[in-house]
Amino acid sequence: MERPVALEARGITLRYRSSGRGVEGLSLSVGWGEVFGLVGPNGSGKSTLLRVLSTAVEPDSGTFRVGGTDGLREKRKVRARLGLMVDRPTHYGDLSGWANAYFFARLYGVNEAKAEGALSELFEYFDLAAYRDDRVKTYSYGMGKKLALIEALAHGPDVLLLDEPSLGLDYTSQLALQRKIRDLSASGVAVVIASNQVDEVESLCDRVAFLHEGRLVEEGTPEELISSLQGVRRIVATLRNPVEYGSVESVAGVDQVVPEGQDLVVHCEDRPGIVADVVGGIVRAGGDITDLAVRRPSLEDVFVKLTGETLRDED
Amino acid sequence: MRINPPDAYWKKDVALFFGRRFALLIKMIYPMAIIVPVAASGIPAEYAAAVIGIVAVMAGTFGAGESLTIDLNDGILVRVALTPTSPRRIVFEVLAVNAVLDFVQLLPALVIVYVLHPVSMMWVLAATFAVFATLVTANAIGIFIANFTSSPADVLLYATAILFPLIYISGFFRNRHPEGILAFLRNFVPFAYMNDALKAVFGLAVKAVPVEIFVYPAVICSVLVFAVCMTAPRLLSPRL
Repeated sequence: MERPVALEARGITLRYRSSGRGVEGLSLSVGWGEVFGLVGPNGSGKSTLLRVLSTAVEPDSGTFRVGGTDGLREKRKVRARLGLMVDRPTHYGDLSGWANAYFFARLYGVNEAKAEGALSELFEYFDLAAYRDDRVKTYSYGMGKKLALIEALAHGPDVLLLDEPSLGLDYTSQLALQRKIRDLSASGVAVVIASNQVDEVESLCDRVAFLHEGRLVEEGTPEELISSLQGVRRIVATLRNPVEYGSVESVAGVDQVVPEGQDLVVHCEDRPGIVADVVGGIVRAGGDITDLAVRRPSLEDVFVKLTGETLRDED
Repeated sequence: MRINPPDAYWKKDVALFFGRRFALLIKMIYPMAIIVPVAASGIPAEYAAAVIGIVAVMAGTFGAGESLTIDLNDGILVRVALTPTSPRRIVFEVLAVNAVLDFVQLLPALVIVYVLHPVSMMWVLAATFAVFATLVTANAIGIFIANFTSSPADVLLYATAILFPLIYISGFFRNRHPEGILAFLRNFVPFAYMNDALKAVFGLAVKAVPVEIFVYPAVICSVLVFAVCMTAPRLLSPRL
């Protein structure tokens, strides 16, 4: 008999009564061992979709299955197969990190010996072993995130749902997380990552779905999506001073200008002379350029092309 | 049996209860500070019984309701509810462990009351059981309120609105000799049985016999616990 797919969602719609936002008619399918990225700006519906898939809330309509098990009718069976890290992880601050993780492992039905073995390994892996007996209220934000990852992984889930997993992690921990996700994927675990960190999604995910205003606007492998953008460039100018960038937007071929910290990111067509025109526009606006880079298109450019909006809020 | 690290919801609550040492000291001292002077004084027995009753009712209601709304606001309870553990079991454990921990807080003060006012063992057991039934009822009310608000301050407000009529019906201070509908309603409030038992401990003659104090509150509490556990899926879902 054919093994059912790891995760299958059909026509998921959920609208929050308070704001009218949510997700509309979302369908997706994730295979065993596949790493699937949900990409979209804040408010695009990534976390809402994960809330539904994690069985935290029921959708207004639509269905989903985890390994063939109905996520609406057999919630507890589905929960047992899921590893979950929510966007804002919380813990019992007066308990130690170890006690928190052990508590969750046991609630997932892991026996005492297995829980201790799995947790020891994960605390070592994520460099938390030295802090395992400290109260969680003394942990930094990044340590709390690592603890949430440990809690998501300790029971050996079949499907992993991670909401902004690397946000707040230091560089070493981000690498450790990526290595762990690749290992899990190689062992057959399906992983869904909601993120707008495009570099991470690009390097980790086998397939990516873009969400915009609660709808799925495009889906494909990162290579397919990026190769669809032949003729697009991204110019990143680091400025000494913030400028009004209207004159850059009016340069022929410029699609979008987004300030990111000290950088001005210009999404534009790939035509001869455009770099000089953009630099001229910045200089005319009074910008003092300290660094300049012309980058190949990324998933962010794909999103800009599809929606006319950027993944990150403007600073 | 190992409590920490916890492997069940109730053990987590016990570990937290005994882990916060200063808070634990305060929690153990305040019932004594209120109840013991009252028991040692010469105030009328019905008022002494009422004061102990009020302490039990308040400790139970605010304890579970407040801690539950804090955990709900924090998001940690929703995370716990996303494990395969049954939501009804989680709520049952919240209720049971809070009632037992409240009881642990009150027990030393109750023992001193029994020492100061010696009474038959049957009444001692009946009064102790009735106090526990009151704590279960009060915790059930607190959890019920947490279904409708995520603010600990609102819990205090709603609890007051629910508890005042129940305290009145139970005859702690007013309505000591109810008739008609009030007398009928009094039969369904576990606080009333505790009030009767404590009055007996303080030497007053009461209509109720000890066996009623065991049976009726037990039945009422079972119904309340069942009803509150049925609210679990709503209670433990994210507040959106």
